[in-house]
Amino acid sequence: MSEESKKGKEHPLSIIINEAVKIFTELGFEVATGPELEDIWHNFDALNIPKDHPARDMQDTFFIKGETDKVLRTHTSSVQIRYMENLVKSGGKPPFAIIAPGKCFRNEATDATHEMQFYQIEGLMIGEDIDMAHLKGTLSYFYKKILGSDVDLRFRPSFFPFTEPSIEFDLKFNGKWLEMGGAGMVHPNVLKNCGIDPIKYQGFAFGPGLERLMVIKYGMPDIRPAYQGDLRFNQF
Amino acid sequence: MKVSYNWLQNYFEERLPDPEKLADGIIFHSFEVESLEKVGDDVIFDIKVLPDRAHDCLSHWGIAKEVKAIFNLKLKEKEYKNFKSVSTNLNIKIESEKCFRYMGRIIRNIKIEKSPDWLKNRLETIGQKSINNIVDTANFVMFDLGQPIHCFDLDKLESEKIIIRNGKTGERITTLDKKEINLDESILVIADGSTGSPQANEVLAIAGIKGGMKAEVDNNTKNIIIEVANFDAVSIRKTSKKIGILTDAVKRYENEISPELCFQVMNEITNLILDIAGGNIEEIVDIYPKKLKQNTVFVSVEYINKRLGTYFLKEEIESVWEKLGFEYEEENGEFKILVPLLRIDITGPHDLAEDVIKILGYERIEGKLPKIEWSPKMNEKFYNISVARNKLLNDGYSEVMTYSFRNGGNVEVLASASDKNFLRINLTDGLEESLKLNQLNAPFLGMKEIKIFEIGTVFDKNKEMMHVAYGDNKNIVETSLENFVSEKIPTDYFDKKVLPFIDLGQNFEEQKFKPWSIYPFISRDIAVWIREEESSETLKKLLIENATELLVKEPFLFDSFTKEGKTSYAFRLVFQSFVRTLKDEEINEIMAKISHKISENSSWQIR
Repeated sequence: MSEESKKGKEHPLSIIINEAVKIFTELGFEVATGPELEDIWHNFDALNIPKDHPARDMQDTFFIKGETDKVLRTHTSSVQIRYMENLVKSGGKPPFAIIAPGKCFRNEATDATHEMQFYQIEGLMIGEDIDMAHLKGTLSYFYKKILGSDVDLRFRPSFFPFTEPSIEFDLKFNGKWLEMGGAGMVHPNVLKNCGIDPIKYQGFAFGPGLERLMVIKYGMPDIRPAYQGDLRFNQF
Repeated sequence: MKVSYNWLQNYFEERLPDPEKLADGIIFHSFEVESLEKVGDDVIFDIKVLPDRAHDCLSHWGIAKEVKAIFNLKLKEKEYKNFKSVSTNLNIKIESEKCFRYMGRIIRNIKIEKSPDWLKNRLETIGQKSINNIVDTANFVMFDLGQPIHCFDLDKLESEKIIIRNGKTGERITTLDKKEINLDESILVIADGSTGSPQANEVLAIAGIKGGMKAEVDNNTKNIIIEVANFDAVSIRKTSKKIGILTDAVKRYENEISPELCFQVMNEITNLILDIAGGNIEEIVDIYPKKLKQNTVFVSVEYINKRLGTYFLKEEIESVWEKLGFEYEEENGEFKILVPLLRIDITGPHDLAEDVIKILGYERIEGKLPKIEWSPKMNEKFYNISVARNKLLNDGYSEVMTYSFRNGGNVEVLASASDKNFLRINLTDGLEESLKLNQLNAPFLGMKEIKIFEIGTVFDKNKEMMHVAYGDNKNIVETSLENFVSEKIPTDYFDKKVLPFIDLGQNFEEQKFKPWSIYPFISRDIAVWIREEESSETLKKLLIENATELLVKEPFLFDSFTKEGKTSYAFRLVFQSFVRTLKDEEINEIMAKISHKISENSSWQIR
């Protein structure tokens, strides 16, 4: 038996996450992590998503029984807040750039493109002059690296309470435009909430889903086998 | 929101671009257009108005203003007829801070009829039912201007007095759709303002959400009160959720409409009613305790370009203010913008930067890579996960990911779209199920032994932990990530500064996923003695050539040994169809054919 076949097979999402982290760390990003069971402040309030605002409805949140302050994080954007709070607490300041791949949860019915649990990769770069052109350049670089040079990127208007302007970005891959995820310039309120001066500093954030990238990259028809513990899924 | 192309066209003298082009413009400058549907001679757009613009764009007028700015068109002036209004005895009292403005007007001697065809048609093309000329007019104006309106039958009130107050526990209302709703102090209501009689102070409507039967406009209605009001968005939203009624009015109110919209709306509906139902108009009663103040925002050309990474000229930015109808002053590249009273989303220069790029177009941003001066650190948790994963992969374990949700545990979610309401307390339970599944598929997987692992978060009361679990059909080991790493990984591993990733090789870019069939597979083993010096490849090739298209995987060599100058090679063949369940007999036939082919080679022998 060859050495090759004795090695175990990695889960395709891990391959995608590792490849993404490799590309972004080469660009100078640092990996950041945070809890999956989050508090309301980090998942909503600090991200400029006020209580009783329709914007909270955009995300079908899992609340926790008996704990009014806890939710399963609906996005990795909460890691932004934790990173910036810690940075400020330890006397640090921008510039910085982080990448946070992590599991998120939304309470919605599952189908071929939706799961109740999924991975996002959050990116955040803050400096004195980090602008939207840098956002476009960074995303473009990343997708060309991971999907091949024959991809095109475009922005469309969108809304997220934690970014302004907010955009949705599409990729042209194999001749077709595909919705990939959301991004934007970090809202001044978010920086303020973390103790960073929003007049001096600005920057971008993005948070595309990784299952989406995985199914596009490998041409998968359905994301559901990803969490069924089925080794037939580990083909690479 | 459904938007009619013909309805939009009414806002313009010029011909609108054709529907596809119009949709494209809206998609790249304003909102997602989910679908275009031909309805009669009209085209209906389903537009996903974004939450930050729902206060001024959930209407044909709102979308028309966007279209005007996107395509640089001119909006037609609306023409309102002159009418005389006579003095009124209508008395309106606001007793709750949740009502920001209440505008009422009595119209007497109207004639309730079927709506004229044009009005019926407008409503029906966007999926609304036509009821009568008064109800339809109120609905039409809401979909036209974005402001909900309610009409009461004046003669069903005890007096010409209306009071806006908090509900009382014990009070009830029967809504227009005949639902009984129990009220309480948190619910804002519109009530009859009279006192004395048993019917006095009765609730007429749940403010901003739904009217009641008591003052319903019906076929005998002669005199009406028109309500054009503004209520607290959070209160409307909470009440709507509490009583389980979500109306088109709620969808607008919960997004915080500007109270400044009321006057124009009252004007438009009065005009329409006069046109369609006739009547004598009384003066408007307008209770507006705190008038909305106009906001001023300063923004510079430099700020906009710095945030967007663009090189827009002052003139281009000015053209955006013109297209959006903003009043502004400019001095040395700095603009003072008088924010339109209906644009309550604009609070700072960052909001204006978005308006600029939306109108000028996101394609104007040219991507460039950023450079920052800083030293990124290694994230310990992520590093440990990578190290643990690589260790297990190298030891022959394959990685799985199982669901975080289970039937039992110590942390429960409040509500779930699935039947699993608990967060997993361990990885072992998921791994056990995974092992069972994969053992059934072992021949398919070409594995002698199933060995799997998972690295993931588990949850206990008040804490979450990163665990590592790995195992085979004999036994599963689960431990914390820290323990696993400190016990299993040599310490010198951690001197490395680079994340330890498995090399993906050269063909990472071309890999394509192969879906599997849902039908059962059949596996057969065949072992053949071959002269020691001969390669097993010849045999493998023969197997592939004769196993037909039902062979779903390359033959898997699961055993080989050499004795007396001959080697025995044992291959496993897996057969499966994507369209049906295979029969044993047909596989027997294929195997017989293969045996026959093998026996043609005199030096080979089937074991």
